[in-house]
Amino acid sequence: MIESFAVHTLNGLWYGVILFMIASGLTIIFGVLGILNLAHGELYALGAFVVFSVVGYATGFVASPDDPVSAVIFGVVVLVAALIAATILLPVGAFIEAVFVRPIYDRDEVYQLLLTYALLLIFIDVMKFGWGTSPLDAGTYRGLNQIPTTEIVGFGYPSYNIIAMVVGVAVFAWLVWFFDRSKTGRIIRATAINRDMATAIGVSTDRTFTLVFAMGAFFAGFGGAMVSIGPQTAFLEMGLDPLVLSFVVIVVGGLGSLKGAFVGALLVGVISRWAIWLWPAVELAAPFAVMLLILLLKPEGLFGTWGEIE
Amino acid sequence: MTTERTDDSMAGGMDRRTILKAVGGSAIAVALAGCTELLEDEDDAIEDAEVPDEPIEAGLQTFLEGAPAVLGVQAQYGAETAVRRINDNDGIAGRQIDLDVIEEGEEALENYQQFVNDGKEVTFGPISSGNHEAMVPEINAQGVINVATDGTVTTLYEEDHPPDENTYSFRFQNHDVMEALAAAVEAVEVLGADEIDTYAGINPGYAFGFDEHDVFSAGIEQLTGAEEVYDGFPDLGTDDMSTHIEAVNSEEPDVLFSSCWGGDATLLLEQGHGAGMFDNIELMVGPVLYGSANDLSEGLVDGPIRSGSRNFYWDEPDTDRWSPAAALFEEVQDEYGVVPTAHFMSGYGAVTAWATAAEKAVRPLGRWPEQDELAEVLTGHGFHTPAGYHTMANDHQCYSNAHFGELGWSDDLDAAVIENVNVYAPEEVSPPQGEVSLEWIGGW
Amino acid sequence: MSRFSPLEERDGKTVVRVPFTRGLTLTSGQTALALVGLVVLFGLPFLAGLVGLSWGRLFRGLLFGMAAVGLNLLLRHTELVSFGHAAFFGGGAYAVAVMAAHLEVSEGILLLLSAVIVGTLLAAVIGYFVAGYVDIYFALLTLAFNAVIFATVFRSAFFNYNDGLAVRVGGDNPTLFGLAWTDLGYDLVLYYTTIVLMIVMLVLMWRLINSPFGRALDAIGQDRTRARFIGIPVERYVWYSFTISGLYGAFAGGVYALQRLHVQPEPTLYVFVSGEILFMAILGGFTTLVGPLIGGVLLVYLLEATRFSFYYYHAPIGIILLAIVLFMPKGIMGSLPDFFAGLRRRVADPGRLGDDVRSIRSMVRQSLTRATTTVRILVFGVK
Repeated sequence: MIESFAVHTLNGLWYGVILFMIASGLTIIFGVLGILNLAHGELYALGAFVVFSVVGYATGFVASPDDPVSAVIFGVVVLVAALIAATILLPVGAFIEAVFVRPIYDRDEVYQLLLTYALLLIFIDVMKFGWGTSPLDAGTYRGLNQIPTTEIVGFGYPSYNIIAMVVGVAVFAWLVWFFDRSKTGRIIRATAINRDMATAIGVSTDRTFTLVFAMGAFFAGFGGAMVSIGPQTAFLEMGLDPLVLSFVVIVVGGLGSLKGAFVGALLVGVISRWAIWLWPAVELAAPFAVMLLILLLKPEGLFGTWGEIE
Repeated sequence: MTTERTDDSMAGGMDRRTILKAVGGSAIAVALAGCTELLEDEDDAIEDAEVPDEPIEAGLQTFLEGAPAVLGVQAQYGAETAVRRINDNDGIAGRQIDLDVIEEGEEALENYQQFVNDGKEVTFGPISSGNHEAMVPEINAQGVINVATDGTVTTLYEEDHPPDENTYSFRFQNHDVMEALAAAVEAVEVLGADEIDTYAGINPGYAFGFDEHDVFSAGIEQLTGAEEVYDGFPDLGTDDMSTHIEAVNSEEPDVLFSSCWGGDATLLLEQGHGAGMFDNIELMVGPVLYGSANDLSEGLVDGPIRSGSRNFYWDEPDTDRWSPAAALFEEVQDEYGVVPTAHFMSGYGAVTAWATAAEKAVRPLGRWPEQDELAEVLTGHGFHTPAGYHTMANDHQCYSNAHFGELGWSDDLDAAVIENVNVYAPEEVSPPQGEVSLEWIGGW
Repeated sequence: MSRFSPLEERDGKTVVRVPFTRGLTLTSGQTALALVGLVVLFGLPFLAGLVGLSWGRLFRGLLFGMAAVGLNLLLRHTELVSFGHAAFFGGGAYAVAVMAAHLEVSEGILLLLSAVIVGTLLAAVIGYFVAGYVDIYFALLTLAFNAVIFATVFRSAFFNYNDGLAVRVGGDNPTLFGLAWTDLGYDLVLYYTTIVLMIVMLVLMWRLINSPFGRALDAIGQDRTRARFIGIPVERYVWYSFTISGLYGAFAGGVYALQRLHVQPEPTLYVFVSGEILFMAILGGFTTLVGPLIGGVLLVYLLEATRFSFYYYHAPIGIILLAIVLFMPKGIMGSLPDFFAGLRRRVADPGRLGDDVRSIRSMVRQSLTRATTTVRILVFGVK
């Protein structure tokens, strides 16, 4: 029972970290640009498909993992592949922002919803064209699990989950550092708080917005890549559910707050895994029930700081 | 329970006269049974029949993209293969078939209406059982025959649309009860009734999964008196099953039943292996695991896993001894580069059922049959495919053998296979006509 | 002018007073358009086939559009974006299905009544909780309620999971007005009943938004604090309007159930259906009364029909929506006046067309240059 509880909690943390990686891009874009990007889930899916191609190419260069050393090398190669896949999303994000999103910043916000929905539909067919209609499996989960992680402390738990958790925490730490300490990050925050003032002191909002959108796409893609190298497959329409779950996460945490998104994601992850364990019938409803409760009790979310990314 | 093949004549060597006689002797029936090399030029009454010149407009709706495409595209391949074979053999009474394939989506009913508006003479599909249920009354209102490739909810023709209220809706694939019961029988065959004290289920959380779970539970409890220790229903198309796997790990049931398919099946196997689930159970039985044959890797099929393959497994009867199966397998590999699964046969068989019935109807009529005439011929119609002999029973449900075997890996094919296949005749795993399945199981 | 004549002189122009609307007047052009609309609406069952369109699909489009008209009450006036209106559409549809499948009620009008009651109650309950929220919190709270309802229905045996429930008692179509009809008769009676009710509901909506209550909603949309200061009970009014908007969705869902005769969760209750209802309102023109109706017909038609013409059938829908967003800035109906005005000017002065081409070309060139510069600077820095 105790061990089971520990495993369920670990599963929840792992799932929460995955949710955070998916939601981080959405919260950055929303926090700075004020745009609820409905195509976010498709950027996530695109990352999953791209990593399938990149991994297939990259792992051709390394021996298949059969001992801890080769497994670690394999793991590094796969993670690099995930980074490359996400990097490919940078120009994609920049292009979308510059060409499609820019003309409608001044329009009523609801048009942004319709526009990003249109992009969502187009993206589905772009991926259908690029990778076909069948689900694809990067086939790296087993290899990653050969890396000894918890075995060292005498506990059997999939190593991929541990790696994903470490990577997710690293993403979180980097984002906090970036927005808190780096010059670009501070400029972005300044722009988010007051666009006019930022322009007045010589910040190009054009460039900031493009950069932020590209970053959002990068993290969406990285989330997709991290998921796709795990036990899951990449398939068309895989972006729909994570999109909705990302909403849940960023709202639970408080809009525009990275810390909030992180805590929110872990909460949703752990509570929903516990709920499935104790009361399997609630599986589909669990994340939304969590969101309802938190919003009804604490209307601004856990760390509400809208209009300012932190 | 017997594991003998029920249709001995199909399995063993058969001379061509027997085959010709068995499949009805007509060109199309022989071609679709996969025995074209047996054909001889003969005078045929059908050549004189007065049939329209224009091709038969047919429509197939199936899942072409997203997670369920794993099944849906196989059905498409199957239907296209059958159509190709028909057209290569001069069509049905000289009429070629023109098959339109479209995405099923959530709108199966609307798609069927569009097909009818577009003047289709026959429609095939859908895959989804809920959508199929919504379609049946519309099919009977419109009067254009639909042969469902799948849509296997058991109660459809048993309770909701009994034969006296249903004229034009047919279904080729075996219904849920057959495969879920085959799984229970298979578990008993492999482990022995005395060895099964506990069982658990991980089934997709939608109608099909709940349905299969109920039938399997009823079956295994009736056969062994086993006790259920866990039943989990992960969401359809979920991205995480770890909670259910951990629950199974801590309960250590003798048998794990899972009707997960497509991406859910591979996810369950992946995460199950990752979490060491197969060390904690004696046996896993999954009626549709092999539906993901083309997405399985060598590591995934490891362990005590037995999979069903509905009414068709490509290597049963053995391709070494049964040339129609070998020819079909080769054709599919050449044409599509995949291993055909049971859903391939869903498409192939649905088209074959209709086409052979149409040809059978032309012969005595001397003209092309009306929809109601064709529906009448199709009811009670028997026909062959490379999967064996099938009968479209009076309740419009087709009955075929159910297959179950050990999931394995073939290095030659570089694909998953099923070994030591057990074949269950329809009467072993489904109730007689007119009885309701769950009541019938209770009377075992 | 006689008191009873619908014609009136106003600002030197003849306008048409629309009956029962207390002051809605249309110009001659608008009247013509409205009359054409009415003729099309009433002739639809016979006209649709002539131009190769499916009447049933247009009917469904009108129904979803009706739900969007309801949603638009919130969107246009209180400026609240709801992501959860499928709850009421689906709620209405499921009320019909449950009444027919479990309680064996076979009279269509009774079923429709229960749809309206159940859906409106649902809206009242949810509205009570969400009325105090604004912006995206409101949007996502409605989404969460919707998602929980969907999950409950999807996984419950009572609702027969995702296989759904048939709206046929003993295998027969429901009766309408106590009479059993043939299949075609049933569809026609249902359609015309719906159309009449729909027009009544549109007129009522028009009167509502032009009443003091409607003005108050506008005030709430512009500034809640100010509205509160001038004595408008903001939360209560939002709650009322939420409930009314749910009523429209519930009615539409109820008719949908009667038309399709089988109700499943995905096409009626899924949160993406909520999104679609919202998009219908926006693309049809959420600043107009009938825009959402047009948006509903268009989007439903596209979503159902493109797969029959294209292998890549998502992208064409996306491209059409994209074009509407970029080139019809107020949605279809909202942009029509500008569009016609522009057209008239160009008919009068064809030379303008050349200017149009030139301005589009320079616009494209400018935005491309700007985008390249931005990307170049981002990648290589300022040099």
